[in-house]
Amino acid sequence: MTATTDVSAPGAGAATTGSPPVVRFAQVNKTYRSVRAVADLDLTLYPGETVALLGPNGAGKSSTLDLLLGLRHPDSGRVEVFGTSPRQAIVRGRVGAMLQSGSLMRDVTVRELVGLACELHPKGLPVDEVLERAGIAEIASRKVNKLSGGQEQRVRFAFATAGASDLIVLDEPTTGMDVSSRQTFWGGMREQARQGRTILFATHYLEEADAVADRVIVLHRGRVLADGSSAEIKAMAGARRISFQLDGPLDETALRALPALTGIEISGRTVRMRSTDADATVHAVYGLGLYPHGLEVTGLGLEQAFLAITDAAGGTAPADEEPTR
Amino acid sequence: MKALVKLEIARTLRNRKFMFFTVAYPSVLFLLIAGSTDADDQVPGTRLSMPLYYMVAMASFGALTAGLMGNGERIAREREDGWTRQLRLTPLPGRGYVGAKIAVGAVATLPSIVIVFVVAAAGKGVRLDAAWQWPALTVAIWAGSLVFAALGVAIGYLASGDAARPVTMIIYFGLSILGGLWMPTTSYPQWLRTIGDCLPTHAYNALGQAIELGGAPHTKDVALLIGYLALFAGGAAWLYRKDTRRA
Repeated sequence: MTATTDVSAPGAGAATTGSPPVVRFAQVNKTYRSVRAVADLDLTLYPGETVALLGPNGAGKSSTLDLLLGLRHPDSGRVEVFGTSPRQAIVRGRVGAMLQSGSLMRDVTVRELVGLACELHPKGLPVDEVLERAGIAEIASRKVNKLSGGQEQRVRFAFATAGASDLIVLDEPTTGMDVSSRQTFWGGMREQARQGRTILFATHYLEEADAVADRVIVLHRGRVLADGSSAEIKAMAGARRISFQLDGPLDETALRALPALTGIEISGRTVRMRSTDADATVHAVYGLGLYPHGLEVTGLGLEQAFLAITDAAGGTAPADEEPTR
Repeated sequence: MKALVKLEIARTLRNRKFMFFTVAYPSVLFLLIAGSTDADDQVPGTRLSMPLYYMVAMASFGALTAGLMGNGERIAREREDGWTRQLRLTPLPGRGYVGAKIAVGAVATLPSIVIVFVVAAAGKGVRLDAAWQWPALTVAIWAGSLVFAALGVAIGYLASGDAARPVTMIIYFGLSILGGLWMPTTSYPQWLRTIGDCLPTHAYNALGQAIELGGAPHTKDVALLIGYLALFAGGAAWLYRKDTRRA
């Protein structure tokens, strides 16, 4: 199995591949100073999809969204939203977006701010409806600069959904929210999806992508590493790390031929491997007639799962990097 | 766009500290500077009395301050905070943003101009030849101040948060002194006066002076101010659109 599974068709709840794409990135590059934030990125989103952009910090998620929203311009390549430039799409009221950071206007109430978004949008919705849906009706008269982190996120969400947009873009929308707020938030998001909107959100939580998205795109170093349904991505990320020591002579060729391996590293008597099916791999180790000492089988953190996928994709990530999460 | 103008004005009026200083500052400055002058003192080379000269100068200076200082620093901060990035994700055009900011400047400066006039008339006995000169002066100074509100927006987009204040200060002092808002430029060497003559502050000041002397503003000054307004507002709108700063 290759990590870059070419599941270019949209995932489960999705939409007709035949309809014109909502978003299209063609060979997009963006470099900041010496950092290549987005590298030869090709990406197509179809109407009605709920897509998670998954990746560790620095994977290029925010840069990709910035390009998609016209906040930055690509060094090369094309970014199209509904067949036009990102700015055109926004002006026509087809895109609603929520950024990860950045404060809101000061000295105004929640209602005034959301009301502004409703009036600026060409297909603006009634303020009360927007406030209600974002779960901030009861704090509508509070000053925007006196909110908690989670409340502020919901105000941002309201700002992004103030009009009847066809595409909603959210950059790490649940940052600063507690568990119950998260649930409410994603409830609201599913409601948006049910109304036929296309939703793209960036996250570094695999669970979040799994629970909400019907298509997951894994970014790493500005490239698409994997693109498929959440089940497919989970299978890839579900890889395990196996390590043990061997006493006898070490038959490297036999070890490398073990089933389900995605990576192996042998240093002295210690063998470290990554496998997509730990049961089968370990079984085969015993099958070789070996007697491994100190056998350990551990799950990979998300960060390592990404590395596992990178590795399988031909990267050179070390096998024993510490998980960050 | 109307929604943003309304909201920007509402929140500026709510900012009591800002409003107090904007409104009171020019009057206080007038009393400090013109306090020692006498109604019989004349500005060299003109037939204007010193208090009258300073009344117009301080009203103009106050309006300039409110527009320039109020906008420059606050916009630089909003930009650094990331609010303008969020705003750029709405269909609001660049001119809408700049227009709203200029409108805010206009709302804050009108009372400051009127109060300087009241203080000058009541406290220093400043009189004008004809009654029409008062509203004419008010409108001229008020409308002219829009140029500096636009410049403030442009500075807010050119300078980052920390640099916005010093940059604004330098431009503010330079424009005020060279343009003759603080003292008559008649005392400057010729080359400095030539530079000063091209500045928006000079035209702005001349606008008021022409009316003080009972005439209509010179076409050249009005044209110069309109040109600067177009330049600053257009530049600010362009910078708003292309700004890629991240929060």
